[in-house]
Amino acid sequence: MKILSRMRFFRNIIRIASRELRRLVSRPLYLFCMVVAPAACLLFFTTLMYEGLPSDMPVGVVDEDNTPTTRNLLRNMDAFSQTRLTDAYPSVTEARRAMQRGEIYAFYYIPEGTTRELLASRRPKVSFYTNNSLLIAGSLLYRDLRTMSVLANASVGLQVLQAKGVDERMAMAFLQPIVIDTHPLSNPWLNYSVYLNNTILPGILMLLIFMVTVFSIGVEIKDATSRLWMAMADNDVLCALVGKLLPHTLVFFAVAAAYDACLYGVLGFPCHGGIGPLLLATLLWVVASQAFGVFLIAVLPTLRLALSACSLWGVVSFSISGFSFPVMAMHPSLQALSNLFPLRHYFLIYVSQTLNGYPMAYVWRSYFALLLFVLLPLLFLGRLKTVLLKYDYIP
Amino acid sequence: MEKMKDLRKLFHEAAGDVFAVWRKEVRRVVHDQGALIFFILVPLFYPLLYAFIYTGEVVREVPVVVVDDGETAMSREFVRRVDATPDVRVVARTGNMGEAREMLRRAEVYGIIRMPEDFSREVNRGSQAHVSLYCDMSGLLYYKALLLSCTEVSLDMGAEVQVHRLGNTTARQDEVSTSPLAYEDVALFNPANGFATFLIPAVLVLVIQQTLLLGIGMINGTARELGMFHTQLEHGGGRGTVRLVAGKALCYLMLYVLVCVWVLLVVPRLFSLVQIPQAADLFAFLLPYLLACIFFSMTLSLLIVQRETCMLVFVFTSLPLLFISGISWPGVAVPDFWRYVSWLVPSTFGINGFVRLNTMGALLEDVRFEFVGLWIQAVVYFLTACAAYYYMIEESRKAASSPIKDGVR
Repeated sequence: MKILSRMRFFRNIIRIASRELRRLVSRPLYLFCMVVAPAACLLFFTTLMYEGLPSDMPVGVVDEDNTPTTRNLLRNMDAFSQTRLTDAYPSVTEARRAMQRGEIYAFYYIPEGTTRELLASRRPKVSFYTNNSLLIAGSLLYRDLRTMSVLANASVGLQVLQAKGVDERMAMAFLQPIVIDTHPLSNPWLNYSVYLNNTILPGILMLLIFMVTVFSIGVEIKDATSRLWMAMADNDVLCALVGKLLPHTLVFFAVAAAYDACLYGVLGFPCHGGIGPLLLATLLWVVASQAFGVFLIAVLPTLRLALSACSLWGVVSFSISGFSFPVMAMHPSLQALSNLFPLRHYFLIYVSQTLNGYPMAYVWRSYFALLLFVLLPLLFLGRLKTVLLKYDYIP
Repeated sequence: MEKMKDLRKLFHEAAGDVFAVWRKEVRRVVHDQGALIFFILVPLFYPLLYAFIYTGEVVREVPVVVVDDGETAMSREFVRRVDATPDVRVVARTGNMGEAREMLRRAEVYGIIRMPEDFSREVNRGSQAHVSLYCDMSGLLYYKALLLSCTEVSLDMGAEVQVHRLGNTTARQDEVSTSPLAYEDVALFNPANGFATFLIPAVLVLVIQQTLLLGIGMINGTARELGMFHTQLEHGGGRGTVRLVAGKALCYLMLYVLVCVWVLLVVPRLFSLVQIPQAADLFAFLLPYLLACIFFSMTLSLLIVQRETCMLVFVFTSLPLLFISGISWPGVAVPDFWRYVSWLVPSTFGINGFVRLNTMGALLEDVRFEFVGLWIQAVVYFLTACAAYYYMIEESRKAASSPIKDGVR
């Protein structure tokens, strides 16, 4: 008897899954959300940041002094990879206007008499104006300025010391007694594509998984086909769910694995945790996102509201997962809230396991959290059953 | 004379139709809870939530562990000064790298500062001492905080060492001999280098476009699903598409003038973001932005055949649209192909123009490119919106007159 009912369970799953496959291909919307949109995003973000670090950002110059010394200073500036000296402006006001027009990201200001005062040891001041309302550009240019100012001072000092007969090694030691050797672990190129895309792309896919899961269930309520669907599962809601979502899992896992292949294989982003754990984590977040979708439609059986909740959760994920702005800098209430977002846990797993190559044990909490997301719908199976059998569509 | 009269009559009739459509649309929006979520609730609360997330602006007190192999007075002084910077906090000191790396793995710290054994000997001997800094690269802000703080301290201490070696007599002499040229960095328009000041304005502008896309998509999706699209015309006759588009656009415009005041003026003030616009210029700029967004959304509603599908189609685009606008990823680094694509979307011009007018205090003439771009979009998308509405009217009219009334879906 038991074996027979189990066989029936699996047979039902397969029948529901094949019904779902037919439903998926019958609507262009599914094709769009499950394949076209994720592929377009992958193409967009990887080509947008292909450079890794923005280079040759236009920088202006206001050189009121205009002597061989100041021109030499500016030539040095041009040599840095992030900057490209474009135009000279007659005054600071003109340069500021150019910045407001968006033509330059920063400008150098060398006041009149700089060379004269330099020779007279009066320590003239040179200013560098960066547009920090564009944070990434501003920060990169600021870094160049720092290096530049150290080097420029060193070169002036070096000349003086060498004239006094000190050899260059000694002179450098004198000019810069303490050096910081920086080791950016796992992303030594400071590549922005590595830093952003590994979380943005799964985040977008998660958003789409939430939506497709909610929509595919909600539309059954809307079209009043949910009773039919449940009947195919002998009114066993678990069987109905598994049958319906299994095809989604396969498609989404294939898409997510293609993301992995593209990022870590084709583009060669750091992947120090091995392919097995990577795929395990990928499968887990795909299923966790589906489960979260099931949870939402069970709690909010109005399709419109459940989709709105998906949008909110999916979009807030990008901010609260902390890959751009760290969670530790947020309000404590938000730090606690961040745990309720699957993307947050995926981000932590990615950093520890994939980027840094630490053993899985160090992120067991995040794995556990994703597992809890997977199990979450089990608590709401009863409610979902009521919803599917009794609820009518609310516009 | 007769002609004038005809024209006047036509104008009166058209204006009457437009206002009738407008009145009905207002009523429709007010009674549609779904549309109200997008037009009112999201613009009202989402910016608040967003600004709240980033309200800290900067990262302070990034935890770091110190491995001091030498344990000399000078190395301790270095560590003490790094700890004293606002951005870094030394949470532990240990004698071996293994332990430090373990802390990094457990994510208790985001960096390791390693003071070499010969640190003070090298400095005292007159050669260079090397401090190693290992950074976790999960967030660039950690890296930035650690690197800047350590560099700052190394430069300060280095200058003192030089002074000591020189034996100058006055402080002025010290300054001149350690750095003959003074540098000053001026961070314009975002003095605190804050994250909110940089990202929030762009998000606010984007919210306006995205909620319009969603709201209009939902309204039209509903009408198409019910096969009622053509019933919105004032006189079932041929003319009326333009009046329908104009009347509806008027309703959305009226609503979004209020939304703009809240989202673009009040919210930045609530969170004390940088706000230095010339009011007249800003308003002059926002008019074409709103029109372009409205007609853009009306055109794209062609993709939405069902009430709820607007969310599946539009929500995820927010992210690419934010990145393509050139605010977070610098505009010069956006590949040409994507730059031309970005010109199709009002938010690109809207975000760039608003950030410059509002955050950077630019004048309308400084954003002429964006301003003209938005007007062109407004005109072009008005025409495409008319075409789209015409198509949707015909579609639902055909469906209504066909013998099989059910099963259209």
